[in-house]
Amino acid sequence: MGQSNPFIRLKEAVKTSWSVLIALWLNLFKNTYGLAALGIMTTFFIIIFSTVLVPMQLFWPKQSGHGNDYTIAKAGDAHRGRQIYVREGCFYCHSQFTRLQDRGYGPLVRAGDYYKDNDQTYETPHVLGTARTGPDLTNEGGRMSSEWQKAHLVNPRAVKPGSIMPSFSFLSDNDMNDLVTYIQTLGNKRKVEHFVQAPDEYMPTTEAGQKLLARKTVDTASSAAANAGRGIYTQNCAVCHGLEGYGNGPNAITLEKKPANFSRSFYKQYPDEFWFYRVSEGVPGTRMPRFGEVLTEEQRWYLVSYLKTLPKDKEVVIDQIDQLNKVQPVKLPTLTEQQYEPHTGG
Amino acid sequence: MSGSIANRIYASLLSDKEGSASRNFFLSALLWSLLGMGAGLLAAAEFAMPDLVHNVPQLSMPHLRMWHVNAVAIGWLSMGYVGSMFHMVPTLCKNKLWSERLGNFTMWVWNALMIAALCTLLNGNTEGREYAELGAILDVMVVIGLITVAWNIYMTLVKRKVKKLYVSLWYFLGSLFWFPLVYVIGQRAFVALPGLNDAIVGWFYGHNILGMWFTTVGVGMMYFLLPRLTQAPLYSHGLSMLGFWGIALFYAPTGTHHILQSPAPEWLKAIAVISSIFLLVPVLTVLTNFFMTMKGKWGMVVTDMPLRFAMTSAIFYLITCVQGPFQATRWVNWYLHFSQWVVGHAHLALLGTFSFILTSSFYYSMPRLTGKNWYSQGLIRSHYWLKTLGFILMMVSLTTAGLVQAAGWAFGIPVDQWSLQIRPYWFLRELSGIMILLGQCIFAYNVFKTLYTPATAPAAVKPSIKASEVRA
Repeated sequence: MGQSNPFIRLKEAVKTSWSVLIALWLNLFKNTYGLAALGIMTTFFIIIFSTVLVPMQLFWPKQSGHGNDYTIAKAGDAHRGRQIYVREGCFYCHSQFTRLQDRGYGPLVRAGDYYKDNDQTYETPHVLGTARTGPDLTNEGGRMSSEWQKAHLVNPRAVKPGSIMPSFSFLSDNDMNDLVTYIQTLGNKRKVEHFVQAPDEYMPTTEAGQKLLARKTVDTASSAAANAGRGIYTQNCAVCHGLEGYGNGPNAITLEKKPANFSRSFYKQYPDEFWFYRVSEGVPGTRMPRFGEVLTEEQRWYLVSYLKTLPKDKEVVIDQIDQLNKVQPVKLPTLTEQQYEPHTGG
Repeated sequence: MSGSIANRIYASLLSDKEGSASRNFFLSALLWSLLGMGAGLLAAAEFAMPDLVHNVPQLSMPHLRMWHVNAVAIGWLSMGYVGSMFHMVPTLCKNKLWSERLGNFTMWVWNALMIAALCTLLNGNTEGREYAELGAILDVMVVIGLITVAWNIYMTLVKRKVKKLYVSLWYFLGSLFWFPLVYVIGQRAFVALPGLNDAIVGWFYGHNILGMWFTTVGVGMMYFLLPRLTQAPLYSHGLSMLGFWGIALFYAPTGTHHILQSPAPEWLKAIAVISSIFLLVPVLTVLTNFFMTMKGKWGMVVTDMPLRFAMTSAIFYLITCVQGPFQATRWVNWYLHFSQWVVGHAHLALLGTFSFILTSSFYYSMPRLTGKNWYSQGLIRSHYWLKTLGFILMMVSLTTAGLVQAAGWAFGIPVDQWSLQIRPYWFLRELSGIMILLGQCIFAYNVFKTLYTPATAPAAVKPSIKASEVRA
């Protein structure tokens, strides 16, 4: 075919298309299809208006003051850590919002947690997440020591055998340090009296909870009650949790999921209701039975008062892995004042 | 004279041969599907065997996932859709594509963008929003691609030789108007939004890449293919219009159902849930139309492979669209959200429904674009069975894993406990991925043999279809 200068041909093509477009516009209202095209556009803009523009106008919460504060940490750059979190795609498997039913994952988030006055770039891009192949990280900061977090990033299965998290050993020291700093800031402004709370039916806020408390005759703070609980503990609990509660009873060796070690400090912040709930309903997914079916309410309250007296020492937080020492030691933030319960319960 | 090297290169790179743009788009889509599905397979393997790849950042699971999603969505499905539209629109308008040159230009832009996406996403250069991972420059290239495609199709339509617009054209025109706008909004162009507002816009886009592009173009393709493959008229034009406007109205506001349990505004969640349920109306309308058109023709799926792919797609569409509103309600979402059930649902829509209809379109269009008959029907059949059985296995394993996971969250079982319980399903999913990728490789081999080997004896038995005959 006749190959004239391609650029002249392109120019002509553009010229024709413009004239056709103008003709189309003029004819738009003369035929039904033009009207329909108008309908498509109108529908679309109404929807954009109502679901994109209106929320941006109506929904702009004030800062709650409980959002993550990335400026406190001194050991690394939490802002940069957040970028690494996004770059490595952590948000594909870890969500960052707690729901009512997520017991043991800390306080519920509020809309204002994701906003900061005069800062449009706070929490953007969002890392709310849509799937939980791993645990929720809303309140992850301070749950585990920084060394544990780092070991877990280098070799997840060394410190958490069931995990399928990929190893991020390829991160540079600097990246790793900032990422761990970021993880340790998560939820650092959400202060609560008790990190874990028993379900509603055990709390005085509900009728069932009030009735439960009305039936309670044991003073769980007294040493007499603790003494009474000791015998119940020895007969029912010691075989797995050990006589002193270190989680080293004779049965422990046979269990894939190891019994809880009550010497860990986060057990010291369990409120009575939570102990009572745990003892009554057991721990799903483990061999811990539902003692509510075996022991009376009174016996369980005695047990609770004994459990509160178990010693807090021999605390083991970091598992040994060799790789950890090979990486250049970096200064990581120390734990917050509160020791949080890890997801495993022990 | 035309013999100069520059002109020759220009003519070969930007060919104006009839059907070349469509054909090139189809072939590029096939290439990216192999790379995209391969990445998905490797990522799935890392779920089953987490230490399979160690210390290679480019092959770590999250990076593979970014590339997998973008390669199959922007590469395989979108490029295949454009290829299909470049074939279907001129056929329906009884004329030629307005500019094959412009079409081929778009094809090069799109391929360049995919190469750049491969290099950037595997290195973690991401904007960090699901389905909108591509960097700013690549976003611009996508928009250029979409606008040039839209322009090309609109001009073809303006110069059409028939008066009436068939329903497929409605879907194509609507999608090509909506989707570039949705894409620009979804990239948060020119604005920075904090936290939840970012998520609201993000999921408006994340769901509408499906609702205003994959669904609307895919359904349009189905409307094109069904009457042609069955040689039967469409059951009802009125129903098809109802379906079109229903999708246009109810699809766009559904995005917030992805963050139903976050502290996003309640009224927006209500709109999203109600729209999601109302989506049953257009979906069932569309499917009624398809299945009624098939009335008395079901026997044809035994021999007609494109029709078999299309009807499998329609059945998966029925399942995915009943599942969708069901899991968008608050009561079900409370239980199922965050689990692999949702991943299964996403694959049911994109792989089960839209990848199947695209494959049907590929098998239907390619002989008409090139005038060459398929090298082997047996290979098409093996492709069909590997893909269908592989997909069903994937669906079953992901859904079961999702139910275990959901139960784990609902009863407060620690993550490392239920993650042990769902290990078998990761292996099953890996197996399903191997089947699907193998099917796709067979598909690619068949295409290669059909297009790039000289026709042998069997061509005499079945006279090849002339592109001009079909067009006439």
